Amino acid sequence: MATDEKRAELIAKLRNAVIQYDEDASKEGAQEALDAGLDANDAIFNGLVSGMEEVGRMFEAQEYFVPEMLMCADALYAGLDILKPHVKQLDLGVKGSVVIGTVEGDVHDIGKNIVKMMFDVAGFTVYDLGRDVPLEKFVEEQMKTDSDLVCLSAMMTTTMTGMKKVIDDLRKKNPNVKIMLGGAPVSQDVADKYGADGYAKDATNALKDAINMIASLKKMKDEVEAKKAK
Amino acid sequence: MKTSLRRELLDHGATVVGVADLRGYLSGEIAHLDRAVSIGVGRRLNEDTLSLLVKLQKRAVRFLKARGHRTLAIPPDSDRKNSTFISKLYSLFNHKMAATSAGLGWIGKNGLLINPDYGPRLSLATVLTDARLSADVPIERCLCGSCMICIEHCPSKAITGSEWSRSSPFVELVKLNACRSHKAAKRAIDNKPNCGLCINICPYGRKNQAPSIKHISNKISRTGSLELGVSRLDII
Repeated sequence: MATDEKRAELIAKLRNAVIQYDEDASKEGAQEALDAGLDANDAIFNGLVSGMEEVGRMFEAQEYFVPEMLMCADALYAGLDILKPHVKQLDLGVKGSVVIGTVEGDVHDIGKNIVKMMFDVAGFTVYDLGRDVPLEKFVEEQMKTDSDLVCLSAMMTTTMTGMKKVIDDLRKKNPNVKIMLGGAPVSQDVADKYGADGYAKDATNALKDAINMIASLKKMKDEVEAKKAK
Repeated sequence: MKTSLRRELLDHGATVVGVADLRGYLSGEIAHLDRAVSIGVGRRLNEDTLSLLVKLQKRAVRFLKARGHRTLAIPPDSDRKNSTFISKLYSLFNHKMAATSAGLGWIGKNGLLINPDYGPRLSLATVLTDARLSADVPIERCLCGSCMICIEHCPSKAITGSEWSRSSPFVELVKLNACRSHKAAKRAIDNKPNCGLCINICPYGRKNQAPSIKHISNKISRTGSLELGVSRLDII
């Protein structure tokens, strides 16, 4: 096992690699963490994800813009790819499978991909349908995989209306499924009107929302562990 | 800072390095990174030009980051992994635009960057940054003059003969469909889509070519060179 000092050093390295959008350092840090016997979950959540939380803050403060944020996300993925095979399944009490995609007629998928990444990090099984996804495909995939959550994304008002149809169809087939919407033209009002369960503000803020989601997951994880300790 | 960056890149294998001021030329997402370091590497057959370009880019990124500046490396056109997040933004940017703005050359009739010393035989990569590097003087218009060699030798007659200038960068220089269909036909015959005659034939920079290519292309162009103006003979 790694000493506390070594652990702190590696965690800081991973965190900085993400903040400094340095893919090479992220890969290197991830490999070193594994070699030093660091717990992969620890490295991901306290290293990579904690770095991404800082990026989210910097983005909100307009210190970072879209390109930096995207490069940070790439750096996070580079480290994650190495660490992920070593993750012990998190026992969160949350069943994790998600169907995600950008609805028919829409090819804008940056926001969707970032949200997807966050689900990846959180250990969900993600069924990514990609972009310009025919509306029936969402229902089909949900039924096939029996996922708990369906995430719909749209960038344009013209394609946004397709979400309503997907939601209606999903509700008919499976009233229990949770549905989340995201994308520039979507608002809480739209989400309420269409009958969705949740809403992520827009493509750029989706990152922050996803981070909040991870943060709450982290909290849940800590609580679970605290219970176990008792 | 610019001089030492340039020297560092040239020392490590870059053929030409220029800095462009791209204020007002960039789309909103990347507009805060308005200086471009344009890096050109001489194309030599059988050498790994791409890996050299990528190495040079990383070197430039490290150099600028170490001095506290932001960077965005736009990889060479032929080395774009489309799986990354940042690759979505690459299409907002054109290497040749950066190169002409950095004074490395002009866009020739064959639609390629023509450098006075190396002709169209350069592979390009760019690093965008917010460092206040002093910019080189841009080249404003096509300096091919009356030279028509590439037009005459193009097997698919794809080169229109129009002239590029920085103020009208969107004129059609090459009929892309004709060029593409020729490459497809080539692929069907001998499995290689390569044509590149308009690169090989260009009289600019032939002097600085690797000897092996020089030999071949001299043969091709002996007829063509006769039609050149006297002022070009020294280059050939």
